Amino acid sequence: MNATAQQFDSETANPFVDSARLARLATLSRAELEELQLRKLRRQLARLNKTSSYYRARLAQGGIDPDKLKSLDEFRARFPLSNKADFLADQTEHPPFGARLGVAREDVALVNMTGGTSGLGQEIYGRSQHDVHMQGYYHALPWFLAGLRPGDIAINCVPSGGLTTGGWGPGEGLRIIGATAFHVGGTLSTDAKIDLMQRIGAVHFIYASTNYLHTLTEALLRRGLEPKRAFPMLRTLFIAAEGYPLEWAERIETLWGCRLQEGYGSTQCAGFGASTCADGVFGAKGGRGLMHLFEWETLFEVVHPETLQPVASGETGEMVVTNLSIEGSPVIRFRTGDAARFISWQDANSGRAWNAIECGTIGRFDDMLKIRGNNVWPSAIDAAVFSFGEVAEYAGRVYTSGDGKTEIEVRVAFTDAAAAFDHATKTNLIERIRTTIKERTNVWMSLNVCSRNELPEFNYKARRWKDERQQGYRL
Amino acid sequence: MRNVQDAAAETARDHRILSRMLADADALCQCGDALLQGQYRHLRGRIAALLDITIPAGDAETAA
Repeated sequence: MNATAQQFDSETANPFVDSARLARLATLSRAELEELQLRKLRRQLARLNKTSSYYRARLAQGGIDPDKLKSLDEFRARFPLSNKADFLADQTEHPPFGARLGVAREDVALVNMTGGTSGLGQEIYGRSQHDVHMQGYYHALPWFLAGLRPGDIAINCVPSGGLTTGGWGPGEGLRIIGATAFHVGGTLSTDAKIDLMQRIGAVHFIYASTNYLHTLTEALLRRGLEPKRAFPMLRTLFIAAEGYPLEWAERIETLWGCRLQEGYGSTQCAGFGASTCADGVFGAKGGRGLMHLFEWETLFEVVHPETLQPVASGETGEMVVTNLSIEGSPVIRFRTGDAARFISWQDANSGRAWNAIECGTIGRFDDMLKIRGNNVWPSAIDAAVFSFGEVAEYAGRVYTSGDGKTEIEVRVAFTDAAAAFDHATKTNLIERIRTTIKERTNVWMSLNVCSRNELPEFNYKARRWKDERQQGYRL
Repeated sequence: MRNVQDAAAETARDHRILSRMLADADALCQCGDALLQGQYRHLRGRIAALLDITIPAGDAETAA
């Protein structure tokens, strides 16, 4: 299938017409954008020099006087990187927020923590009142760009509350835009969400993880509902958190009758740091689209994970993040472990001087599995498996067989329609899926079919892979 | 698209208004009423964030 961009009746309003501020940011030259970044960076570093002993030490280590910082290049060359281990050590030595907290402890109005799925520990972020608004803004901004407007009805499928940025940012963002928001994530079953959405009727905007949009779409189809007929007012589907194949994105847009938009965000970015704006996930000539970096709010570097040198346009590297506008627990040159394909503003050809990263291919360097000498990312297997519309869900595991060999098992659940295929058709389909996985990962995997209810339903991020080998086998 | 100079002047005006509001919010935060003080600090945080969001960008806005 050659997936391409589609046209829709409900095309998104132009954010650069509706907001003079955004129009101005879109017309900044690269030199003007970098001047703004340097101005904000100096202010941020000067403030942290006074308020955070962690960052004061790092400034000293780099020999940097914030007021005399001449260029972004100087900053990148001299300011030391931080990583998760540094933050966890800081938190252990100065509980609970570490010495990197840039405000008085009493001024922390909201606490965010990372998910802890790495098993290494959770970073803790203290957000001031100012930061809480900024966090909301870092959700409002990409959604406004994607077409959300005051008075729109928005469905937030990401679980609210709790200790994550994702639990608070969306609510704040929808409130400050002035949308009418239904926060249904984590509180209602998928069927109950569908019932509520049907009762509401005029839904304009849905926000969900990639995986949950897949789950929601599946559930609607099982009920005999075509999403675009059930929700004809929908203008924007906004996804985040996970990659996907273009074939899947095209099916989703066709089923829902509107453009799919995507954002890149994290706790370290305090929300979204990049999005497709209004362009959708497809490039103008087909193929993957771009998420444009909000570089006036956050400094991004995309570096080779081993050399730490900037990657060239078109290459994949690790996202290194510096907050320009967060005061509570800002990150300054923080290695996120996120893998992204960098596209320079010149190659992005968007008419704006904003660098970009490729849609749909964000991965994690620490999710990577080392299998028979190959570096394999679960996101690459996702892309291979979900390029087949016949697949409803899958799960995989890597294990050591009785005779000491590395084995990989992928269990696939077909859609109801595909489950009814005859034996020969299913056998052929299984073999095509295996071959596609091999083409994308260079690894042959065994494939077994199971029923849908043998696999979990994911409410937010999908964790489809288990590595059951001994620790010594892992990367 | 609106005239660049008009847009820059409007952004600069908004920024000046917000700066005055921040000074007033700082004064409110000095009140001795613990129930109101927390809410005034919440308001101050919002104003400070909006000042960051509207920071002059580009030659036209910094000149305005």
